[in-house]
Amino acid sequence: MTTITSQPAGAAVPLPRGRRRTELLMLAFAVGVVLFAYANVGFGLNGKLPSGLVEYGLAFAVIIGIAHLAVRRFAPWADPLMLPLAALLNGLGIVMIYRLQQSGRNGNPGNQISTLSSSATAMQVLYSALGVAAFIAVLVFIREVRVLQRYTYTLGAAGLILLAIPAMLPSSMSEVPGTGAKIQIAVGGFSVQPEQFAELALAVFFAGYLVAKRDVLSLAGRRFLGIDLPRARDLGPVLIAWGVSLLLLVFESDIGTSALFFGLFVAMLYIATQRTSWLLIGVLLFVFGAYVASKLFSHVGTRFIVWLHPWAGDNPTHNAYQLVQGLEGMGFGGIFGTGLGHGQPFWTPLVQSDFIMTAFGEELGLTGLMAMLLIFGLLVQRGLRAAVAARDPFAKLLAGGLAFAVALQVFIIVGGVTQLIPLTGITTPFLSQGGSSLLATWALVGLLMRISDTARRPAPQPIQDEGMTQVVRAG
Amino acid sequence: MNRALFRLSLACLAMFVLLLINVNYVQAFEGNSLADRPGNARTFNQQFQYQRGSIIAAGTGGPVTIAESRPAPGSTSGNTTYQRYYPGGPAYAPITGFDSIYGSTGIEEAYQKYLAGTASSLTVHNLISLLTGKPKQGATVYLTVSPKAQQAAYQALLSDGGHEAGVVALNPSTGAILAMASYPSFNPNRLTTLDGTKFVKIDNELLRDPAQPLLNRAINQTYPPGSSFKVITGSAGFSTGKVAGPTATVAAPQPLKLPNGNLLNNDGDETCFGGHPQVIQAFLLSCNTAFANIGMKVGGPALRTYANRFGWNDANLTIPMLVSPSVVPPITDPSYTAMTSIGQFDDQVTPLQEAMDAAAIANHGTLMRPYLLQQVQAPDLSIIGSTQPTVLSQAVSPQVASDMQQMMIQVTQNPAGTAYATAGPPAVGTSLVIAGKTGTAENTVSGAGLDDAVFTCFAPASDPKIAVGVIVKGGGFGADAAAPIAVKIIEAYLGVH
Repeated sequence: MTTITSQPAGAAVPLPRGRRRTELLMLAFAVGVVLFAYANVGFGLNGKLPSGLVEYGLAFAVIIGIAHLAVRRFAPWADPLMLPLAALLNGLGIVMIYRLQQSGRNGNPGNQISTLSSSATAMQVLYSALGVAAFIAVLVFIREVRVLQRYTYTLGAAGLILLAIPAMLPSSMSEVPGTGAKIQIAVGGFSVQPEQFAELALAVFFAGYLVAKRDVLSLAGRRFLGIDLPRARDLGPVLIAWGVSLLLLVFESDIGTSALFFGLFVAMLYIATQRTSWLLIGVLLFVFGAYVASKLFSHVGTRFIVWLHPWAGDNPTHNAYQLVQGLEGMGFGGIFGTGLGHGQPFWTPLVQSDFIMTAFGEELGLTGLMAMLLIFGLLVQRGLRAAVAARDPFAKLLAGGLAFAVALQVFIIVGGVTQLIPLTGITTPFLSQGGSSLLATWALVGLLMRISDTARRPAPQPIQDEGMTQVVRAG
Repeated sequence: MNRALFRLSLACLAMFVLLLINVNYVQAFEGNSLADRPGNARTFNQQFQYQRGSIIAAGTGGPVTIAESRPAPGSTSGNTTYQRYYPGGPAYAPITGFDSIYGSTGIEEAYQKYLAGTASSLTVHNLISLLTGKPKQGATVYLTVSPKAQQAAYQALLSDGGHEAGVVALNPSTGAILAMASYPSFNPNRLTTLDGTKFVKIDNELLRDPAQPLLNRAINQTYPPGSSFKVITGSAGFSTGKVAGPTATVAAPQPLKLPNGNLLNNDGDETCFGGHPQVIQAFLLSCNTAFANIGMKVGGPALRTYANRFGWNDANLTIPMLVSPSVVPPITDPSYTAMTSIGQFDDQVTPLQEAMDAAAIANHGTLMRPYLLQQVQAPDLSIIGSTQPTVLSQAVSPQVASDMQQMMIQVTQNPAGTAYATAGPPAVGTSLVIAGKTGTAENTVSGAGLDDAVFTCFAPASDPKIAVGVIVKGGGFGADAAAPIAVKIIEAYLGVH
């Protein structure tokens, strides 16, 4: 690599390699898989190559290529796997949205999905471009994550405002059609889900706040059952985070995001303080909150009933219809799946959004679904690795929190649609249709790569006096 | 903080492991049952994209295809949609049922898994097809139905003058169903349309038709058995020892005064061999008072027990379609028992049960479980399922069965027998001996209409190959209306005439 060959001869200090070539190779592989899947959809649906193969394929390859060049230029030491993993997921999401959009349209078999417009694929490609732009912007403008620490409280306030806006708006502007969740700002034909960005802002806020306060928060109070309980006066932040997530749940009917935020906060609190008691308090508060909410609010209670008794009334008017359709689709796909374009995911309402993993399960089968879960798992693992490698506590905390947020989000939504836990609607990172989630997730990956780049960047080499000193290494 | 990060990684790992275990449970462990759930639109919808298996009548005179999938008119080669076709039409409709966009009936429903190719035994085959790129195809279902017997049965019902009727023919030694016809029937081809609106219109029309063409009278409608029940009464009398044998004398007054004071008459109020006939004589003349006396001697509970051994009162019998139970109510009152013994109280019977009664007698008293499925053949021609004949019950001892056979032969062979003219030598000649019993049930339900005609029989008497049960609603005398139908089926099946 250029960095090594530029070293003066004889001073063979093994520098960590940037591994951009590995990234390029893996990216080529990811783009190849996506193009293959796209072609597969065309063959599956009507036995020939899909018409937009060249255009969409080229657009996707160019977007990803630009991302790669930006990484080479602005974060040359960053983790080489994150970008390919993100690109692969993003690409497969586009392919599935294309497949869903095609059913019942343009002479293809299946029922038309009325909630999916005929321009959905083009829009998703556009959103991907915007997402990659956000990713590049993060790399370009945030040269050190530490600078974000300065805006801890500004970003905290911004996050809360972003969260609160939809609750203030009339439901005609804030409700996602067909779900009852008031989580978006819709003007004209365009809508934004501010909570996706609030997640990032709040993660930064949590990291800044916890780094500043972690010494106080780790102070032990009373000891109970072998666990050091924190002091009562330090409970404030946890209670506030808990309260905010409950408000979210009540005013925006957004259980999934509420759980995600609270889980993120508790996880970061745990990383910062290393105190198991915070974890326990957090979990207990959450269980208590969820229980009370399920008793008080029918839309929360319904989720539990649907989870426990999805088959009670197997008909379209029953509340469990969506979950049942998703499960039946996955069962229909079985171990090897029907093949892309051969299944019938169009029966599941809003399959392009929360339930997109069931569509993958149906058409790619158990094998494909497991592979995709492993890709998510790898992405999370790379993020946690960046956290471990980071030297700055703020960066460490932020990276750990963001990586955990991805894991928790995947767990909440995939667990929900597969009946592992009660279903709460949140987007599947990179896969679900829609721009806000895609933008925010790309920005999140940008932050992780920035942290990873900082952590892996070799320390500046002292200028060596040639011939005077020799680096002597044993072995 | 690294220690906490490490623990958090374990938590992440745990979440992903949980997800992986759960999707394995959903797709591998539960997968098939989820796919086959009633109401799974996918499995249901898929059958029109793949070629559904054929149904074949493989008995004597076959094999004849009675249901198959053909590319629907106007479907393109890249996107073939298949439509069901029933070459047999109304004749086979009670057997095939129909397969429509909104559901299926009959064999189409009962063997949905095989025909649609979703049965677990077809998984490996489907996988091979998937890998080799062959289109998925359902398995072929072979039925025991004999096209000869079935055609004869439906033609006989059709030419009977428009009476509602049902008929079943069985192989007595296996229980294989050789024919099952119902009249009036329907044309299943009308219901195979892929146009939902059109289907609903036709379906409503059939459902509202007062003639009830969708009703399979052979197994799902019951009628009073009339004197054909004397087969059961006689069997119970011999088996319990209350009647020593066919030649034992039994009191047959005209009329018989029942314990509750009502009078019970013989048909036409005729005396029966001077009021003291042998049982065999009373049987061939179908004397009501003689069998009412036998029934009272046996007693209501015992009579019901023997009826149950012939398959009566069984609400769970499937062939694989669910059969409506034939009913002998639990009674102890001797007067009602007397009425029951001659099939005139609350007894209700299906044509299938009439055939089973005769089949048990024909098969040395052993009643075989009736069935339609001969075998299921995967698209690669391997056999993935077949029916082994099984015993449903030992209705009576071989000795009693032999006694009953003698009595049933007399019904057609003795010039005084009730079916001598229509199922005896004048009708079929001397080479073929049919053993049977007529029934003419006073049909209070149909009001002013004629009596229901019943005939239960088997042939050839010396080596039974076929047992038939016929019921013609409002047909009149059993011997006149029902017996000729049975004769036509028997002759067609055995190839005589």
